[in-house]
Amino acid sequence: MPRWRRIAAQVIGGAGVAVDRWRAARSHPPRRSRLERFGAIVQLTVPRALVFLDREAARSTLALRPDQEPALWRGAEPALADTLLTAPLEAHLQLTNQCTAGCTGCYTGASPEGAPHEWGLAEWSRALDELADAGVFHVALGGGESAVLPWLGALADHARRRGIIANLTTSGLDGLDRLLPIADRFGQINVSLDGLGAAYAAVRGFDGFARADAAIRALRAVKREIGINVVVTRHNFDELPALFAYAADRGLSEVELLRFKPAGRGARAYADLRCTDAQHRGFLPAILAAARLHAVRVKVDCSYTPMLAHHRPDPALLADLAISGCAGGDYLVGAKPGGQLTACSFAAPAPPLDGHRPRADELTRYWTQPGAFGAFRTWREDAREPCASCEYHSLCRGGCKVVSSHVEGDLAAPDPECPRVVDHRAGPRRTHLPVI
Amino acid sequence: MHRGRILAIKWGMNPNSSSLGVDVTFLLVGATVLAALTPVVGALLRWRGAVPVESSAAERAAAAAADPGSAPA
Repeated sequence: MPRWRRIAAQVIGGAGVAVDRWRAARSHPPRRSRLERFGAIVQLTVPRALVFLDREAARSTLALRPDQEPALWRGAEPALADTLLTAPLEAHLQLTNQCTAGCTGCYTGASPEGAPHEWGLAEWSRALDELADAGVFHVALGGGESAVLPWLGALADHARRRGIIANLTTSGLDGLDRLLPIADRFGQINVSLDGLGAAYAAVRGFDGFARADAAIRALRAVKREIGINVVVTRHNFDELPALFAYAADRGLSEVELLRFKPAGRGARAYADLRCTDAQHRGFLPAILAAARLHAVRVKVDCSYTPMLAHHRPDPALLADLAISGCAGGDYLVGAKPGGQLTACSFAAPAPPLDGHRPRADELTRYWTQPGAFGAFRTWREDAREPCASCEYHSLCRGGCKVVSSHVEGDLAAPDPECPRVVDHRAGPRRTHLPVI
Repeated sequence: MHRGRILAIKWGMNPNSSSLGVDVTFLLVGATVLAALTPVVGALLRWRGAVPVESSAAERAAAAAADPGSAPA
């Protein structure tokens, strides 16, 4: 399809999406605001955005009485980058570890049997109540394959009743019949698609492309906000432009690119699947070129921030776009299938406090405890070279702690795949002086 | 926006259940376009009228700490 026709179709589709979102927001109003020490966060549904406001802007935007001073605003106004949020923006709930796919690099080590002591609808509903009370805006539901859960629709309904927008990741390989009738209850659904044809098999260890593609077509037929999640490895890196072309041809709303993490079965596959240093350095130009060529929106996960910073974009622009490195235990939290709270989905359960490991339905109590989430929150004081002197450190936060933990044995170590860290460890560049 | 500043805008929603996804499409157009877009978002907020202040555990805890005698909302 010519590019201009694709853009025209996107504009028309965008108008339809806006109407859908407006209707959804009327029937199930999502949380619209949350006070913060720096001011407030306001949620827009059309266009979809979380807008961070300073106190003065919040005062003119929120329905505050002239004499009303929020208790959180007592004391000096901190900068956004210098303060911990009062609650995460989103929570990643791994509803089950049950999945029959058996992907080589599965970060949760999912299996057909699932995990012992997995939570059910009642426990996850209680967790959603806790998250709503804390002020969480979104949840991202995943697994395992959560589309097979018979109560997934009921849980999404509960989230909507509590003002939380539920989003979903699925492999598309199982549970599609259950998912199609409830697809409208989710804000955005992304299907994991790590390659086209043979590249899919090279990354995942089996050829599931045809089934994933069929699921994408079926979901796109009933919902506009369908995208793909792509775990980028050295084997599919060169195929990224083709994946953007695929997304454009299927009329998908976004491509979300995820760095390969050494977690679960992925720890064993990491050496074979992780991208090369050259691929990391070429990542940003490659994806922006593909996004421009195919007119598809592109998202990247938080662990890619060092690879963005490598190209030295204006730090203020990154901050304006809320682009942040490791946001575990701050902008996001995760929960394991048994409810164990984690800083992010790849991380081990949060450190115990008072001998007790926290669960997702205890978020509020745990959030403010000294030492909560351990090294995920101490990135400022933990910074070593070359992070300590990096102008992007307040945004990047030292890169992906899960990669650091696996490679360096230390969560607080600089991300070993960051190009700046690679250069730093290689030592000063040699300059060949002219031979006299 | 009459007064004050928009500090950041996080576009879209993140369906990825493993890490925080951020929209980097704006890096294609750069700071100039974003600088032009920010007042539009401000105008949109203004046009939609006053946004209700929704309760959160942190605000209730801060209020209780500031005034221990008051019952939490």
